[in-house]
Amino acid sequence: MIKLSQERTKELLAIHGWSGIILGLLLYAVICTGTIAVFSTEIGDWSNPLDGPATEGLPPNINALVQELGDQVDPAYRDQFFLYSSGGGRLMLQFEGHLEQDGDDDHPGAEEHYGVLYEIDPNTLTLLNRTEGPEAMLDAARRATDALADFFVDLHVRLHIPNPWGLYVTGVLGLIMMVAAITGFLVHRHLIRELFTIRRNKEALLRSRDAHVIAGTWTLPFAFVLAFTGSFFSFATSLGLPAMAMVVFGGDQERAIAEVFGEPPATDETPAPVANFDAVIADATARTGARPNFIAGSFYGRADSQMRAFTPAEEGDLTGRSPVYSGVTGEFLYDKPVLVGQSPSAGNAVAALMAPLHFGNFAGIVSKAVWFALGFAGAYVALTGMLLWTNRRADQRAWQRMGRIVHWMGYGLPLTMAMTPYGTFAGRWFGWPLETAQWTAFGLAALAALIVALGARTAARARDLLVATTGFALLGVPLVRYATGGPGWLGAWSDGLMTVIAGDLIMMLGGVICLGLWRFGAGTSAEQAGQANSRPGRSNPQVTA
Amino acid sequence: MTTADHITAAGIRQRPRLRAWTRGVLAGPLAFVASWILMAGAALYLPEGAAGIDNLVFPVVLFPLIWAVLFLYALLDRRLLRAYVVIGLVLASHGGLIAAHLGSVA
Repeated sequence: MIKLSQERTKELLAIHGWSGIILGLLLYAVICTGTIAVFSTEIGDWSNPLDGPATEGLPPNINALVQELGDQVDPAYRDQFFLYSSGGGRLMLQFEGHLEQDGDDDHPGAEEHYGVLYEIDPNTLTLLNRTEGPEAMLDAARRATDALADFFVDLHVRLHIPNPWGLYVTGVLGLIMMVAAITGFLVHRHLIRELFTIRRNKEALLRSRDAHVIAGTWTLPFAFVLAFTGSFFSFATSLGLPAMAMVVFGGDQERAIAEVFGEPPATDETPAPVANFDAVIADATARTGARPNFIAGSFYGRADSQMRAFTPAEEGDLTGRSPVYSGVTGEFLYDKPVLVGQSPSAGNAVAALMAPLHFGNFAGIVSKAVWFALGFAGAYVALTGMLLWTNRRADQRAWQRMGRIVHWMGYGLPLTMAMTPYGTFAGRWFGWPLETAQWTAFGLAALAALIVALGARTAARARDLLVATTGFALLGVPLVRYATGGPGWLGAWSDGLMTVIAGDLIMMLGGVICLGLWRFGAGTSAEQAGQANSRPGRSNPQVTA
Repeated sequence: MTTADHITAAGIRQRPRLRAWTRGVLAGPLAFVASWILMAGAALYLPEGAAGIDNLVFPVVLFPLIWAVLFLYALLDRRLLRAYVVIGLVLASHGGLIAAHLGSVA
């Protein structure tokens, strides 16, 4: 229990409430999409499967194919190469170099990233697709294989706002969430008691306040960790690294990057053979105890080539490892810290902790499920907090309108997220540009939700309509997936695509829960408190602050 | 109330709206800029550690916490002028450190 004067508690409550309400709508969107993004790998495997299950880590026996494809790439575009998995377990092999554009002595042409991206079926080792072009085209081709997961991740990371502005916005949202968590902790007068207190016989507003406090209290440490690590991820590259480059290295970003991520090896452009990828993967597996899931290399086919294998965290470790190999002989050179620096350091250890703490991927599906549940609770806290705030002020016209907007975001966002797979599957089936198809489905659902939220007779009615529609939308997702060329359950079972069946079942379960809430539930307590909210613009004498 | 009163502590105290705005400017943009300057300046005096990168990494990792502390302090210190002085000192000390470092590099 923290003793604060009544006046100080009031001030902290005001900071808590206002910090939540000012950017709470966007924060709610970031939390909801982040909760879903915990399962981004599984979403990719579910929404765009191949004929066989996705393997853990890079597949075996890929050396001959990788070398054959690598040899076909123009040497000008082999400065960097990457091997990684994408949606459905597809193996992606990417080469990148620089394309010098025309210019003259006074106006030298700008250098643009340019390269080739191969999409490979890891089960049959056949080439599925080849894309050559500038970086943006490669990005689009990569995103197409993992379109649904990428849509949610992008919404979570930067709200689809171009960089660096999107990162600034989500960084500020992380800071706001941190302030809400800190002030929420400080204003608890009886922390332990409030973990278990709900006053069932009291009026709806008190019950709703209790529900908000219970959910908020249980998730306080988690909310703080997520907010802290989230704002770190948003600001580290958009503000932190540029600041260090400017101050410590006098504006020299290349020197800053070399200091933080390591100096490149001495240049030697002599053509040379390429190391055996299977041998490098086998050595990294034996050395670290885990199969690499990513290889990044430089100067393919040159004497100064190096490659670095990244392995996931072994049981008991919070971070993976990344041994470095000669890109010519495949000889092990040294173990490099996963994130920053050339040798182990406290700085690397702390920075490397940020990812598992934020993504919850340190103990496989179990920790992901826990992170999902806690994220879900965080979304509930954000929504009920905003509903409480607006319901307490529902006798004022402006707050009535705000209450409807909260309903639109609170119950409309799950609907728009449930509709996004419709756009993805339809776009893939009809050959439409995937992002356009996704935005169309998402945008139409958002517009429909806005009409319902503003036009319904009461806020509770709006909530009922939106929850019911979300339920039907979720129930329809597996059907649309199947109707647009996805595997059926029997085919998925025989191909070992358990993620497909599990994904469908989760969608259906979500749909049934939504319909149950619509039919038998009575909304959140916070909403019950204000369910008499009439259409915005009319005063509501039944609701008192 | 004269124009001069508006910018004195007493003048601000007597005008709640002006006081709220003045505190908002301190807790919002000024606290954010001070956190950023503190983060960048701290890299110049923190120990580099075994790999020579600790002084670069720790301020970036701690930036959200630095901001939260300055933000809450700016909102909660009852004496607004003192809050301005403290955050001003953070800005001046680390800004000065950065300027001196950049001057010596140039």
